Amino acid sequence: MKGTKILVVDDEENIRLLYKEELEEEGYDVELASNGLEAFEKAKENDFDLIVMDIKMPVMDGIQALNEIKKVKKDQPIILCSAYGEFKQDFSSWVSDAYVVKSADTDELKRTIKDLLNVK
Amino acid sequence: MNPVEILGKIIEISHSNLEANSRISAILNIISQEMGFEEVIVFTYEKDKRLTSSYMNRKSTLFKIFSAYRCHIGEGIIGSVAQKRMPQSFTKRDVPLRLGCLFYPELDDHLERFKSFLFQPITDDSFLYGVLFLASASKELIQDHEKILTSIIAREIGGVLQVHKLHVSSKRKINELATLSELGKLLTSHVELPLLFQTIGLIVTKATEATFFTIRLEHKFLLNGPERFSYGDVEPFIKDYILKLENEVWIQKKTLSIRNIMPVLPEMLNGYAIYSTPIISRDGVIGTVTICGTKNRMGFTFEEDGQGLINNIANYITNGVENTILTSKLRELIKELNKAQKRAIEQEKLKSLGEMTANIAHEIKNPLVVIGGFANRLLKKAKLTHGESRYAEIIVKEVARLESILNVVLRFAKEDESAPCKPCNINACLDEIVYLFNADPGWEKVQIEKEYDCNLPPVVCDIEQVKQVIINIMLNAYEAMFGEGKIHIKTGRCEKEPDRFLTISITDTGGGIDPAIIDNIFNPFFTTKEKGTGLGLAISNKIINNLRGKIEIINKVGQGATFSVYLPLKNGDYKEELI
Ligand SMILES: Nc1ncnc2c1ncn2[C@@H]1O[C@H](COP(=O)(O)OP(=O)(O)OP(=O)(O)O)[C@@H](O)[C@H]1O
Ligand SMILES: [Mg+2]
Repeated sequence: MKGTKILVVDDEENIRLLYKEELEEEGYDVELASNGLEAFEKAKENDFDLIVMDIKMPVMDGIQALNEIKKVKKDQPIILCSAYGEFKQDFSSWVSDAYVVKSADTDELKRTIKDLLNVK
Repeated sequence: MNPVEILGKIIEISHSNLEANSRISAILNIISQEMGFEEVIVFTYEKDKRLTSSYMNRKSTLFKIFSAYRCHIGEGIIGSVAQKRMPQSFTKRDVPLRLGCLFYPELDDHLERFKSFLFQPITDDSFLYGVLFLASASKELIQDHEKILTSIIAREIGGVLQVHKLHVSSKRKINELATLSELGKLLTSHVELPLLFQTIGLIVTKATEATFFTIRLEHKFLLNGPERFSYGDVEPFIKDYILKLENEVWIQKKTLSIRNIMPVLPEMLNGYAIYSTPIISRDGVIGTVTICGTKNRMGFTFEEDGQGLINNIANYITNGVENTILTSKLRELIKELNKAQKRAIEQEKLKSLGEMTANIAHEIKNPLVVIGGFANRLLKKAKLTHGESRYAEIIVKEVARLESILNVVLRFAKEDESAPCKPCNINACLDEIVYLFNADPGWEKVQIEKEYDCNLPPVVCDIEQVKQVIINIMLNAYEAMFGEGKIHIKTGRCEKEPDRFLTISITDTGGGIDPAIIDNIFNPFFTTKEKGTGLGLAISNKIINNLRGKIEIINKVGQGATFSVYLPLKNGDYKEELI
């Protein structure tokens, strides 16, 4: 688990802080980005084991960033994490490896991350 | 006064401007006073070929006796004078008993006083107007010059009667025209039907002096069932005959009198004239107009004119009814249009409300996650006292509750994506949903069966909204079965109204809904689930209602529930029907 690098992308500073603390507590190395474009830039230059991506963000939204990153790094695992619950309708989100509804309870997110990393 | 003076006076009176009745009475009084006749009576010849004692001199005592019976033409001396149009005179000795008419028994006592009698026909060259009867208590014999003078006077009286008759019939015509014009005005106004017919009844009965007037209508558009609008009253047995006549008129589609359908009139109907005529509109016979009058001493209040009059009235009513049908159809149309407009506005509102809700929900979600997330962290990290950790727990719990409400709101309220209504293939939409659920590992133990109607017509709707509803019902089914069971999805046209609705039925094996709560499940925030919001069905119902459909439930306790969503096939079919 040591040395597992996760990029957390969210436009809300406090959300970033929350996820960073929660995930670091789990033993991951956490990097942050505050919008899709920044995430894309970082993802291009670094190898992340996983990216946790919000959808609704300024500059470049999560879906777009997801698609851009997947174009460059086809196997980059990405979890979409958003306030929306009706992700199942949105076919453009299908290329993500998982989807988690944003919640104060981070258990589901952590579980999903673990599952994805284990598969790899 | 000598004969010339008498004649002069009489001619003067007969050409005066007095009312006909007064003119004749005045003439009769002059004859009585100046010529020495105690009885001077005029019998008028009526349409029913009978003679009525109509005018008398002031002193007359016999008039009352004659009033008791109207003799037929040819009956007794009065009838035979009228028939032959020849005068007759008698003396006390040769006058027949009761003047030849058996129906004047009282005459027996009264004729004794009189010594001579004279009967003059009142005619002109072509018409018979009646008979002038004279009786004197003083003259033994009536002189020839008196016969000549009275025959001239009779002619004068004939003239007055003729003018009077013309006057009466033209008055009747004017009256009728006035009635029809009043009806016309009424029918072009837009009063409600019952009031309209009530008023027609009032106008017609007043104008015709009818005793009873009734309109019977059966029209599926205007009225729920057969209706009758009556004015005036008749005895119940007459009503039976009226009904019979109406039915016959309905079948024969033409004006009929009671006499037309009953060759031999029952005794009881003798005093009545009844006419009925069909109201024929574009849709065929839709009713009848019937008028009933009684006979009075002078004959019927209307007779020959009766037929023509109600024909006219029926025509007017037909037009009026057609008008009213058109206006009420128009009104319906406008109502429908208004409704459609309201719905459109409602939908628009809902949509923008939906967008707003989505935005707000999204904005709230993030801070909520932060609050709850850090409350969680506090709980885990900080060394809290028992009380403090309880507070943090409360925050976490309440945040979780708020979150789940937001999740449902966000599930339905899509962000600024306003999909317009367009024809959609429901089967394809269901396939997408089934595909998604089948791909979900949580749904592994759920077997989804499809039973589609392949000829299902497209439905005009916002398909995304319908999807939300179906997904919500599927999630409920999943939750009722605790993730294990069978979901059967069936599509087809609505059995009861195959042209109006199609049905999507979703049946689960989740044991059904407790009958005690089934009335509440559409209420917002009603839930039996620990983490439920109770918004799912409430919003689903709202969406489907808005599409002019409905959701029905068949609940089999112990087995499962079937949620059937009805969607209208044609939006606005009602309007097409009307135009
Ligand atoms: N298929 C079903 N079988 C049995 N009970 C049902 C079924 N569908 C709905 N119900 C009952 O109706 C209630 C209301 O349903 P609704 O979808 O409105 O809210 P919910 O499912 O409780 O909450 P949410 O939709 O927010 O998860 C449910 O709590 C459940 O008791
Ligand atoms: Mg539900």
